[in-house]
Amino acid sequence: MLATAVQDRNFADMIDLAARLGGGHVTLQHPEYLDRPTFSRTLLDTEKLSALALQDKEVKRAVTRIVGQTMLSTAADSCGAFFMAVDPNQEDISTLSLLEGLDKGRLFASSRDPGIIIGAGLAKKLDAGPGDKIVYTMTDKNGDIVSGLSRLSGIVRTGATSFDSIICLLPIDIIRESLGYMAKEAIQVALFIEDQRKSDEVALRLGSTLGAGTAALSWRETQPELAGFIAMKVGGAIFIEVLIAILVAAGIFNTLFVSVMERLREFGIMIAIGFSPARLFGLIMMESFWLGLVGLAAGAAITAGPYYYLVATGIDVSKMIGQDGAVVAGIAVSPVISVGIYTEHALFIAIAVFIATMLSGLYPAWRAGRVVPVETITVV
Amino acid sequence: MNPDESKALVELKDVVKIYQQGNVEVHALRGLTFKVLTGEFSAICGPSGSGKTTALNMIGALDSPTSGSVVVEGRNLASLSRKTLSRIRRDRIGFVFQAYNLIPVLTAYENAEIVMSLQGKSQEERHARVMGLLDEVGLKEMAHRRPYELSGGQQQRVAIARAIASGPAVVLADEPTANVDSDTADKLLALMEKLNQDRGVTFIFSTHDPKVMARAKRIIRLVDGRIVDDKSWEAV
Repeated sequence: MLATAVQDRNFADMIDLAARLGGGHVTLQHPEYLDRPTFSRTLLDTEKLSALALQDKEVKRAVTRIVGQTMLSTAADSCGAFFMAVDPNQEDISTLSLLEGLDKGRLFASSRDPGIIIGAGLAKKLDAGPGDKIVYTMTDKNGDIVSGLSRLSGIVRTGATSFDSIICLLPIDIIRESLGYMAKEAIQVALFIEDQRKSDEVALRLGSTLGAGTAALSWRETQPELAGFIAMKVGGAIFIEVLIAILVAAGIFNTLFVSVMERLREFGIMIAIGFSPARLFGLIMMESFWLGLVGLAAGAAITAGPYYYLVATGIDVSKMIGQDGAVVAGIAVSPVISVGIYTEHALFIAIAVFIATMLSGLYPAWRAGRVVPVETITVV
Repeated sequence: MNPDESKALVELKDVVKIYQQGNVEVHALRGLTFKVLTGEFSAICGPSGSGKTTALNMIGALDSPTSGSVVVEGRNLASLSRKTLSRIRRDRIGFVFQAYNLIPVLTAYENAEIVMSLQGKSQEERHARVMGLLDEVGLKEMAHRRPYELSGGQQQRVAIARAIASGPAVVLADEPTANVDSDTADKLLALMEKLNQDRGVTFIFSTHDPKVMARAKRIIRLVDGRIVDDKSWEAV
């Protein structure tokens, strides 16, 4: 249960963080952009698409972005970067986690503010500080080289060093002009939903609603590395959980079996005075039932306190893995281990344990019903 | 109570029981044949290993013969299903064991009541009958004590109350006085005698206690699994 709770919480956090670093839980983009990402594969009316997407009951936020590659240059150096052009009026930390790591400076005042926010690694490479001039160069919609001048308005530190070495934020309207886009044109609309587990169904639903000109992709499709990592971890966890379930079932079986074997004489007496084998079988199954039920209730009562502590506070392992946490599939994972189990997972585990208890009782119950009184009722 | 000769409650015909102990065959019963009539107060006696307990186990449907037949109330036990045998043990046979064999987690009242619960009797009926029986065996005040809180004689009285609570046709008592002192044994025998006379319950004992034999109306003597003497109640 604890392992599942840790896994549920951590994977949910990773997925949410990845969504806020990238294209949301569901991304609307040109159908060919995923395979061949160029500035010419755009969505022309992102405002309309956002409005349509927000009609879906699961979609809570929709933000328009332009993403792509650029070359950044300062007086000191030049290097390649991945940029995300955003509208500061649409974004906050619930859609753009980079803002949480804004170490120095501020977000753009408007979508026409000629600022740039870059990762700490990038700032170091470019030897740039707040207020410094940075030139960005990219190919526009038609394949022509375009450049623009901006001033460094902020530096972000996400904890993922590789990410901090390539990321930069730019104001969307200025980039639209640079790339030759129309007013509502952009590369993607990032959609955010309450429960990331519904990403696939939302993507499927929007895919059919929005028509062939727009692709709706869940985070699994836009971030296959993360999806693969989680799938692998979940697969391993299921294997471990099955092993644990077998051990638990063996423990319960042992308890019930020993309990029956210690009471063979009692069962012999019961058969002698008129209990039928079926009734004895039922009696032990009823014991299994109560063992399962009381065990679950006791387990819930005993673990409730520690569980809520882990939900609210968690365990800080930064001394072991560093203050910035670990980086998994490009995502910085918090150094505080927290838990948060999904209700259906908790129910599944509870039901599985209960069923394991009942199954473990089958053989002892059968054995109790097969007791031969003349062999077990001995003179004491 | 005088037995009714027209009703053979229990009938054993050529009953042979052979136990296999490793490679050795142990002949516990060697062609046992006798009848017990309704209302009898009989004792099966003999030295240890003579087959007394095995004979009672056969009559009580706790064990089955290697050959021969055991007929209780006209039904050959060998032809009955496990379920029917359970029902016969529940409704028609009461057991009193040498080691009392009460269920340790239940009180005296619950031990006496349990068979009636299996019979599906109502709470009121069970309560009235069990309290009446505990009163009869002198344990009404100890109804809520558990077996470990009772003396051996008291436990055996609870066992007798349990045996007759279901209204059985026959009570099989395996060495019922073996684990109690002489005075208690007398009291137990008097109690069983009274139940036989007042309620018409048939009793079959296994014993090698001369006191029990002295009070029995019929004595079937076994040696090495054979009847060597059977003094019927008329002869006594």
